[in-house]
Amino acid sequence: MVHTIAWLAWTASAAVAALLIRNPFYLGIVALSAGLVYATVGENAPLKAGWGGLLKLGLFIWTVTIPMNALMAHTGNIVLFTLPQSWPIIGGNITLEAVVFGAASGLSLWTLLLIFAAFNLAVDASQLLRVTPSFLYQAGVVTSIALTFVPQMLISAREIREAQRLRGHRFRGLRDLLPLFVPLLTTSLERAIQLAESIESRGFGGQLVQLDDRGMSRLRWYMVAGLAILLWGTFSRVYWSQRPQLGTLLIVLAIALLVDTFREMGRHVRRGRYSRGRWEAFDALTLAVSGAVLLGCVSLRLIDKGALNYYPYPPFPLLPPFDGWIGGLLALLSLPGWIRLQPAERTPMHSSAIEAP
Amino acid sequence: MIEIKRLSYRYPEVDQPILRDVDLWIDEGDLILMVGPSGSGKSTLLRCLNGLIPHFYGGKISGSVRVAGLDPFEQQPRKMASAVGFVFQDPEAQFVVDTVEDELVFGMENYDLPQATMRKRLEETLDQLNIAHLRHRRISTLSGGEKQRVAIGSVLTLQPQVLVLDEPTSQLDPQAAEEVLTVLQKLNADLGLTVILSEHRLERVVQYADRMVHVQGEGAPLVVGEPQEVLRQIELTPPLIQLGKALRWEPLPFTIKAARRHARKLALPAEPRVVEEPAQPDADEPLAPVDIAVDDLWHSYDGHPALNGVDLRIHRGEFVALMGRNGSGKTTLLKHMVGLLQPSRGSVRIREVDTRHSTLDELIRTVGYVPQNPNALLFEDTIADEIAFTRQNHGLPAIDPEDLLAPLGLSGMGDRYPRDLSVGERQRVALVAILAAEPEIILMDEPTRGLDYVQKENMTRYLAAERDSGRTVVLSTHDVELAAAAVDRVIILGEGEVIVDGPARQVMSESMVFSSQINKLLRSDRYLTVADVLRDLGLGAEA
Repeated sequence: MVHTIAWLAWTASAAVAALLIRNPFYLGIVALSAGLVYATVGENAPLKAGWGGLLKLGLFIWTVTIPMNALMAHTGNIVLFTLPQSWPIIGGNITLEAVVFGAASGLSLWTLLLIFAAFNLAVDASQLLRVTPSFLYQAGVVTSIALTFVPQMLISAREIREAQRLRGHRFRGLRDLLPLFVPLLTTSLERAIQLAESIESRGFGGQLVQLDDRGMSRLRWYMVAGLAILLWGTFSRVYWSQRPQLGTLLIVLAIALLVDTFREMGRHVRRGRYSRGRWEAFDALTLAVSGAVLLGCVSLRLIDKGALNYYPYPPFPLLPPFDGWIGGLLALLSLPGWIRLQPAERTPMHSSAIEAP
Repeated sequence: MIEIKRLSYRYPEVDQPILRDVDLWIDEGDLILMVGPSGSGKSTLLRCLNGLIPHFYGGKISGSVRVAGLDPFEQQPRKMASAVGFVFQDPEAQFVVDTVEDELVFGMENYDLPQATMRKRLEETLDQLNIAHLRHRRISTLSGGEKQRVAIGSVLTLQPQVLVLDEPTSQLDPQAAEEVLTVLQKLNADLGLTVILSEHRLERVVQYADRMVHVQGEGAPLVVGEPQEVLRQIELTPPLIQLGKALRWEPLPFTIKAARRHARKLALPAEPRVVEEPAQPDADEPLAPVDIAVDDLWHSYDGHPALNGVDLRIHRGEFVALMGRNGSGKTTLLKHMVGLLQPSRGSVRIREVDTRHSTLDELIRTVGYVPQNPNALLFEDTIADEIAFTRQNHGLPAIDPEDLLAPLGLSGMGDRYPRDLSVGERQRVALVAILAAEPEIILMDEPTRGLDYVQKENMTRYLAAERDSGRTVVLSTHDVELAAAAVDRVIILGEGEVIVDGPARQVMSESMVFSSQINKLLRSDRYLTVADVLRDLGLGAEA
């Protein structure tokens, strides 16, 4: 089990890499690393990882990006075929370069999906809930409940549909929605009431250390002021783009004010956070590697714009360059995948010995 | 531990108080069993113990309640959580997060307990409830019994002194109910936790109860006392105790073991068998015409086999119970009989019509299927409208709703709003909503789930009358007493196959699991019900 914070770092760094890189060789390395992580995380995840959906999604992305790019960009030396010039927009040469570039763009999107799929498998909603800032906590619980509510509603909806069919109900027009909608609504409401009772009976809502009215309205004013200054700063940066200093200053000020307000609000939420995994050496390693990749990608981008980029159209070569160092750095993203290939020694399985009959 | 004085309560917008001048005293470490008909106010009384009433529901309340030195009317339910743990009826609707471990720590996080305390209590709770093997599982993948044990665990981590459970097993099958009740008994015995439990299945808990509380409803005073005293005064009792009461056994036997001592002294006829040969399910039997013919039926859900080669003939006017543990294929088989599912292999014919070659609309003219959950059906403003809706869909002329309501004990309720009814009444209204189409074959999925003894008996009597009027009735059930009292034939399914199929008397007296209390006591196919025993003793049906 990798710690949630380490997972967040890994995801952020891999996602930034996938967004900055256009070079298909490097993207391929990031995709392979994410794929390895996805596969190994999937082995232990309660939700089994399936490749079918992801591959289908990838194919779908390419069926959009490749034809789009090929039909729109008509530059390149290797002409595959030509569409009549009289056709608007799509008329002209269809080149191999455009096809390859379309494929590379698709790969970047798919890699991003793969990274989030792995993250989704590795970290569940409640773990994420625990790393959300305190002032967002209640909103977080509501989201978590909504997430568990949706599947239950789908099951109810199917049951209701079946039950009404058995009474001869047929769907012919909007009016026929009523026999389906009313039971779904009442069932959901009844369930919601019981859930509310259940969480109330377990101490939920007791975490807000009451602020007096003055304190509360003071914080509200700070928040309004912060947002107003933020808006003003953004506006002035856009409007007086030659002299952005004032705008930048205002934005920094607004962010500082908002952060302080949120921190203050967070102090009034008293709630424990149960941490399932302990922070261990491997988590630190994952964090370090993620940081290194992130730093590497961002600095390369700043120092040498072409290093990660890919532009197959002439005069640039169709085959992108490859630097072993960069490739090696990106391959580090596969780290959480390697460790999980070893037997999971950190999940306590001894307790299953006293399984109920 | 708990002291209730002159407690009265009225729900908002209701004229009559549901609780009137209730007095109750509960000692520390007691296991209290609360019984009473549906709608009598059991849940209301329980909710007063942690302040859900009046804080959550509003309404008008008077009197006083003290629980572990706290006043729930002053404290919010969330403050009461460290004194009173509350577990609800529906295992589906009380979870916040999606894994077991997270659910168990939810309460402790709300109380901002130190990390080390959380870890320690989590481990202890997992062991106490025997759910350590489930700790990393998703809640949606658990069985009903496992879910209820997790729900109990999720309140125990706050280490309350009182555990209150509102019909925790009414939605569970017998095995799952047993799991939950065993855990409760253990918690009470080992930890000295005060447990207050409202429950319909007396036969499984009454022997552990220190005291019983009978909530009579309609503002009548509570009957409180030793189970022995209370059981004598109430109607809602399991068959074993009914027999004990009829034969004036002293003390009343709570377990089959205790009853055996009395049973040995009974002067019952010696000849054991009334059914000699197993009935041959041959085609040349001179029976009524075949209503449902199932031939080599196979079915699977996404590759998981549910039915594996089922062969069955059900004749007109038969009353059949499908039994077997959860997941044995009962519901799947029933759904095939109405055409909701299509065979992967084999065939199902309803009155010679193959379900694969006819539409659902054609089939439901002959077959009425009542699903397990009545809430899925009911949507109209009145019961009469529900009946009219079904008849209209079937192109049948309007009738007087009373014709359908009266036989089910719902006389005069045509104008009521279906959702306001008790579970038992809703179940019967769901039945009415299906019967309005005048089907000749009635299929029911777990019709007695969540019903109390009186409601069960009414349902049983009604279905038997339907059979007598020439209808074919097939139901899936876990309820052995229902099967013992009314059914002609029992089919036991296991792993999607027919394991046993025969006359109810024979199947039940030969089974260890699927047999009634009276049969377990006397182990003869002469005796399945209390009435059987009284008949042989020449006492008639006076009990």
